[in-house]
Amino acid sequence: MKTTPHNHACGNADHRISRRQMLGTLGGAVGFGSLLQPAFAKEIKKQEKRVCLIWLDGGMSQYESWHPLPNSKFAGPFRNIKTSIPGIHFSELMPHTAKIAHKISVIRSMETKDPNHSTGVPRVQRGDPLDRGVDYPYLGSAIAKLLGPANPGLPPYLWIKPGNGGFIHREAGFLGTRYGAMALGDGRPPVHIQRPDSISAELDAARNALRQKANERFKAYRGASEIDAYETSYDMALQLMARKDIFDDAQLGPKDKERYGSHPLGRHILRARQLLEAGVRFVKVNSYHWDTHGDNFNMSQRLVPQIDQPFAALINDLEDRGLLDHTLVVLMSEFGRTPIINSRLGRDHWPDCWSIGLAGCGIKRGAIIGKTTKDGAFVDGEGYDIGHLFHTIFTLLGINPDKTHYRHKGQKLAIANDECEPIKEVMM
Amino acid sequence: MIAPALDVKKTWVSRELKHNRQLFRAQFSPDGKFIAAGGQDKLVHAWELEGENKMTFDAHKTWVSSLTFHPKAKCLFTADYLGVIHCWDYESGGKPKWTIPNADQDNVRALVVTPDGKYLLSAGDDAIIKVWNPANGKPLTQLAGHTECIFSLAISPDGKHLVSGDLLGCVRQWNLGNWKPVRELNAKILHTRLDNFIADVGGARSLAFSNDGKILAVGGMKEAKSNAFCPGKPTVLIFDWASGKQKIELGIKGKSDGPFNALRFLEDGTLIGHTEILHTNSELTFWKTDTPDPLHSISNGSAYDLSLHPDGRQLLVPTYVSGGASGNGARERHREEYPPNKTSLKIFSLSAKPAEDKKAG
Repeated sequence: MKTTPHNHACGNADHRISRRQMLGTLGGAVGFGSLLQPAFAKEIKKQEKRVCLIWLDGGMSQYESWHPLPNSKFAGPFRNIKTSIPGIHFSELMPHTAKIAHKISVIRSMETKDPNHSTGVPRVQRGDPLDRGVDYPYLGSAIAKLLGPANPGLPPYLWIKPGNGGFIHREAGFLGTRYGAMALGDGRPPVHIQRPDSISAELDAARNALRQKANERFKAYRGASEIDAYETSYDMALQLMARKDIFDDAQLGPKDKERYGSHPLGRHILRARQLLEAGVRFVKVNSYHWDTHGDNFNMSQRLVPQIDQPFAALINDLEDRGLLDHTLVVLMSEFGRTPIINSRLGRDHWPDCWSIGLAGCGIKRGAIIGKTTKDGAFVDGEGYDIGHLFHTIFTLLGINPDKTHYRHKGQKLAIANDECEPIKEVMM
Repeated sequence: MIAPALDVKKTWVSRELKHNRQLFRAQFSPDGKFIAAGGQDKLVHAWELEGENKMTFDAHKTWVSSLTFHPKAKCLFTADYLGVIHCWDYESGGKPKWTIPNADQDNVRALVVTPDGKYLLSAGDDAIIKVWNPANGKPLTQLAGHTECIFSLAISPDGKHLVSGDLLGCVRQWNLGNWKPVRELNAKILHTRLDNFIADVGGARSLAFSNDGKILAVGGMKEAKSNAFCPGKPTVLIFDWASGKQKIELGIKGKSDGPFNALRFLEDGTLIGHTEILHTNSELTFWKTDTPDPLHSISNGSAYDLSLHPDGRQLLVPTYVSGGASGNGARERHREEYPPNKTSLKIFSLSAKPAEDKKAG
């Protein structure tokens, strides 16, 4: 296996993450600094761009967040409030984000195609590429492939989600299982991250060597996919075992928990900050139950503050740490919610005109983009599809989507929808 | 004139007033001559039933969340999601007689006036019940004790007690006059917070006393399955008022999956409730409170309020009506015309149609 994981020229086996490189960084490594041998230091500097995708599964209402439009016949009952950008208002449910509006961009003219969760989530997270008969990777897996790990001592793609964790290889699509996500259930490290005292480091290394030997032997006669997934997840667990300091909440500042909130989404975004600081390339944070078909206004009153506070805290903290210019933060769902209020005071699915928040890594500061019809129901002019967002993300990460391709079974595949281009008005 | 006999199984729609926006709250005036309603269009609408004169009162800056009439004076009190209460002379119209700008930190969810007309009470998101002078809107006192937002208020028929219901299913009893807390009734089954929820769901959404004051009904839903669709089992808990013990639980047989947002007792002890459902019909439900299953039900669009006419024979239901564009993702289908949903203020007669009376006679 070759060892140039950061090279993302098209279709090259070099794009793969080197297991040897991953394992080679483990011996005795405790802190990021201990990994910075001269050869690596240069590479790490080149690879320092990171991504945090915050995914509000089910769809957050744009009217109750980014685009309140209180005079619209579709408006909810909440106030709009001033933001730090003159003349721009958000919902009163986002007071913290309103204060940092000048640090972020909001696109209010997303116009995607899929009104269903089951197809919309993969379609959006894959960037809705033109159909070429393959399963495209989700964004985190794509970036793990195209950029490799930002810190060779850490997995490139970690996914913080409620519930259980584990290795989620499905997100990698045709890239192969090794580009899947290591999911951290409830933001916790994988179970058994601590090596038991009864097993010495030497014995542990011997056990791993035996495991690897057995895997090689098994792979020689059978399909490699499952073994790859197994080995990758094992290697990632080993990497995280070497960096258990990242999960040590005692290292957090006394006010961190208060600023992010004690609810799951607050805790998970705080964990994401820790992972990004440690050098994880791509961190996805999921929150579920935003699909407010029923009781949208009572629910939004309780849900939106759960993203408002930690999102603003994350942007501020990344900026304070000098990381915001290198870290792209994307806050989105699979669609927005209907202007029309239904029979249960809910809002249904609305891909026709919705909003997302972006910050960092070359995103303009204080840009509010996109026109809508007066009531906010439809985009006025050309909307942006998810393919445009993928072109934007790749471009900001230094990947030219027009010149970079995947190669799968001899087929040259665009990394983003060929018919789209970057959203220039959101880029510096 | 002798009132027709109550016969809820023969309930029929005797009149409809249409409105082009969703109205959540609607009440008959104490003399039965007016209907007042409010909702999403921020306006308060008053229809004079004889002659169908209509007035519109414009002062709220957001959705109207609650309204109630003074039992004696010609006053209508309306409240909104920004914590504002206005008092209107609903016969002459014009500007509010007085305004309370900060009756709640956020949404005023419930308003009642005591039967003697001495006190106006409001409650909502900040979990504190406020007592006001209905003549001028001046504050009299505040009742603290709830820990979550209050959805519902009701006064006992003897005028001695107030009950209040909150998101957690806690129902509190207070003395009227000295404002002391008396006891707590357990309706916690109407609140759900499963491990994977990110918000509390349900609550004691509605309260009603039987006319003899022996029964308190608490409406809501139990066993919510998520905090997204918020579907659950519409449920009414019947409490013996003297002992404070729950006697029975009432349910429905139909499809509704939202809470009972409104309850009313008839003079013969029949309880009426209304639920909600997504994109299809819910039901107006009638029970005898000693039997869990409904006595009768009528398919009807979702509704959030019920008002009984002073004649005891007519029920006002502000009923959801689809504007024709509901549902997921419109694309080009509705780009030219994408109307909001509407309301039919239905007046149900709770007795047989006159023609049927004759036939039966």
